[in-house]
Amino acid sequence: MLKKIIVLVLLVAAAGAQSKKPQSTPASAPHGGAAAGPNETIALKGGKLLTISHGVIENGVVVMQNGRITAVGGAGTAIPSGAKVIDVTGMTVYPGLIDSETHLGLTEISADRMTNDTLENSDEIMPHMHVYDAFHAETALIPVTRINGITNAIVSPASGDTLPGQDSFIQLAGPSATEMLVVRDIAMPLNFTGQQRRNQNFDQAKFPFTRMGMAAQLRQAFLDAQDYEQKLAAYEKKKSSSDEKEKDKAGAPPKRDLKLEALLPYLQGKKPVVLAAEEPNDLQTALDLANEFHLKVILNHVTHSAALLDKIAATKLPVIVGPIYEQLKESERYDAVFRMPAELAKRGVKIAFASYDAHQARNLPYAAGYSVAFGLSPEEALKALTLNPAQIWGIDKDLGSLDTGKVANVVVANGDPLDVKTDVKHVFIQGQEIPLVSKQTQLRDQYWK
Amino acid sequence: MAHRSRLGWTMLLLCLLSTLVAAQQSSEQQPSPAFHNDVVIKGGTILTVTHGKIENGSIYIHNGKIAAVGQSVNAPANATVIDAAGKWVMPGLIDSHSHIALDDDVNEPTNPVTPHMMMRDAFDYNDKAIYRALAGGVTTSLLLHGSANMIGGQAIVIKHKYGLGRDELLFPGAPQSIKFASGENPKRVYGSRNQLPATRMGNFEVMRASFIEAREYMRQWDDYNAKVKKGDKDATPPKKDLKLEALADVLRGKLLVQIHCYRADEFLTEMEIAKEFGYKIRAFHHALEAYKVADKIAANGVAIATWPDWWGFKYEAWDGIPWNAAISAHKGVRVALKSDSEDVTRRLNQEAGKIMHYGLTEEEALKAITLNPAWIIGVDDRVGSIDVGKDADITIWNSYPLSSPALVDKVLIDGDLYFDRSLPGLGLTHYKEVQ
Repeated sequence: MLKKIIVLVLLVAAAGAQSKKPQSTPASAPHGGAAAGPNETIALKGGKLLTISHGVIENGVVVMQNGRITAVGGAGTAIPSGAKVIDVTGMTVYPGLIDSETHLGLTEISADRMTNDTLENSDEIMPHMHVYDAFHAETALIPVTRINGITNAIVSPASGDTLPGQDSFIQLAGPSATEMLVVRDIAMPLNFTGQQRRNQNFDQAKFPFTRMGMAAQLRQAFLDAQDYEQKLAAYEKKKSSSDEKEKDKAGAPPKRDLKLEALLPYLQGKKPVVLAAEEPNDLQTALDLANEFHLKVILNHVTHSAALLDKIAATKLPVIVGPIYEQLKESERYDAVFRMPAELAKRGVKIAFASYDAHQARNLPYAAGYSVAFGLSPEEALKALTLNPAQIWGIDKDLGSLDTGKVANVVVANGDPLDVKTDVKHVFIQGQEIPLVSKQTQLRDQYWK
Repeated sequence: MAHRSRLGWTMLLLCLLSTLVAAQQSSEQQPSPAFHNDVVIKGGTILTVTHGKIENGSIYIHNGKIAAVGQSVNAPANATVIDAAGKWVMPGLIDSHSHIALDDDVNEPTNPVTPHMMMRDAFDYNDKAIYRALAGGVTTSLLLHGSANMIGGQAIVIKHKYGLGRDELLFPGAPQSIKFASGENPKRVYGSRNQLPATRMGNFEVMRASFIEAREYMRQWDDYNAKVKKGDKDATPPKKDLKLEALADVLRGKLLVQIHCYRADEFLTEMEIAKEFGYKIRAFHHALEAYKVADKIAANGVAIATWPDWWGFKYEAWDGIPWNAAISAHKGVRVALKSDSEDVTRRLNQEAGKIMHYGLTEEEALKAITLNPAWIIGVDDRVGSIDVGKDADITIWNSYPLSSPALVDKVLIDGDLYFDRSLPGLGLTHYKEVQ
């Protein structure tokens, strides 16, 4: 639970911005969620509100106070006296966008190894890697991303291991990593796309060379964790026994094993695994494995699994869709992957978009917009960037819609949030206006004379 | 290329074999192009690129060329009519930087100077990437050598007539382009082998030395030709050298020079070297820091072919900003948006829409994916706008093309229909899958 006051020191990354003094006491939030910001009350007036949860309000009002949304309504909505009123007539107002997979804070320059902490590739089973240990809050990439309306994201390790570590859910502004890491270890990727194999060449083959190897290795890891869990439980049982004799039998506790320990919340169904597969065969193999160990699952990619659309829908599992720009299989029609979000949504699947990127995470809304071209409804597309991911990640009490009581992550733009032509004009994170400044805007201003 | 490392060599062999088989199969299934003699596209909003927008306009196509364009056109009564009411019509998109359809043979990374590599020799005209770009509205692409070498190979220009034979995809009469590179790629490729060049100093030294050698080669030929002209029957010709011939063609101004280059200082050095050896640079490609020296690039008449917003993937891309195109254009640089990507080439219209968000006007954004890349390739007198006399390479869209929800409905090349979204299967008119 964070107890810190949000200060605009977050704009250190954006250099030169004046910080404002914190004035209020914080309110704690569920899930170690967002604390309140300073006491400046801001009212956005006259905009078209895309509330996500309760339709569109023309000429509406949004009031933000103490880091939360305190009122959402039509033109008649009361604006507290002393509020800073921002006229957003003609603009669109919507909740901050959520990117359901990024590597923000884990990379700076892709080709420069020393600036990358995306993957521990010495072994395929690395569930005890926590992205929060590498998260670089002051990365230049976060300001670049948030000024396009993305206010929250999953930070995930790269997908080169079957179990590469655990994701964190971040907010794209805050005084330091502590506050920006809103939920640590929120979920664990389980990658089964065929690309986690260690198969450089036959002569130097290293296990796991095949999908059989990867599946066996995963299965053994979960079995080892179950065994570890049982030993722990047995020890605890004896240790806490009222019978002194039993208590003595407990002996030393099992040696602590970080790797196996990391798997326990997932085996216990307390947290979801993000199961990544692209092709139908991989998807079914990985799902079988997840079911065998009763894992709670969020599906990821399913890019080339159009043949399994109905089966995916029947699982009732949510899906992180994309990248929709993934290359096609030889026989696929040009729009086979572009159509996947629409096809899934049509079958009632709860979908969320992800950029799967860091430098280009800012383009997240355009993937949703392009999915609209291929049949997804604009409402569903925006929902897949807001309320759907908030629900999938279990933070919908705080995020995902313009509703009273939610964290005031709010974006104002001059048009359709999903269209490439649209300009974002204001971004509020926890009720604080974020200057539209980044490393890139500074270079622009330096040279555009 | 990335997938090669994760496929075993066994798998790779299998892939190669299956590609060979596929190539053999599809080479037998090309129906001849059903050339429409007379076509009228009627009733759409036409984005001409050169002379504004025509609402509810028409285009008359005769013998593969645009014969008339305007509010109404005179066309024979028996002309095929394409109803474009409610649709948007614009020229076919042009990608001035692509490496598709080369069967992964993009680089010959064995010597930093390989001007005699001809991309035509690797051209895989059956590559589905040509089709996928076509379905995104691309009608012409420049297929370039990669950036491993300071002086790479010679490009080909294709029209995306997917389903036809190899020679029918080559853009007839297009000038020959050659690819140069600079910066991190050449120095990484050769430096990692402890070879020259391992630095930017080495990079440019390799270039200068090559041109000095080419000058000497040209001088020998000039001497020989002079002797022959004087009637010297004993004159022996110098040995023909493919590599030096190609470099000589650069110095003779026969090739359009396309340079992969990111950093501001390197644009300046490249322009100095070009001046020193007397050749012209057609365009800087990628050109992420063009905005820092845009006035100088403009003064040299060099264009840029860039991405709207790629950055940060390596150190020389660290200062890439999405306003690069706008700043450069405003300082007088001719700007094209290109893909350099099998993915992005399918949605250049989205990239053009995005660049408006970063300061380019609609007219400039449209030119950036049509007329300006056509100029870079040297075919702007043939394609890139809807003007009388130009090739009828035309795309028809279901909505405003430079926006997210826009889809290509139909693509015509030389007046003939090559892609139609409403058709079943792949939407192709000249290609059939072998069952």
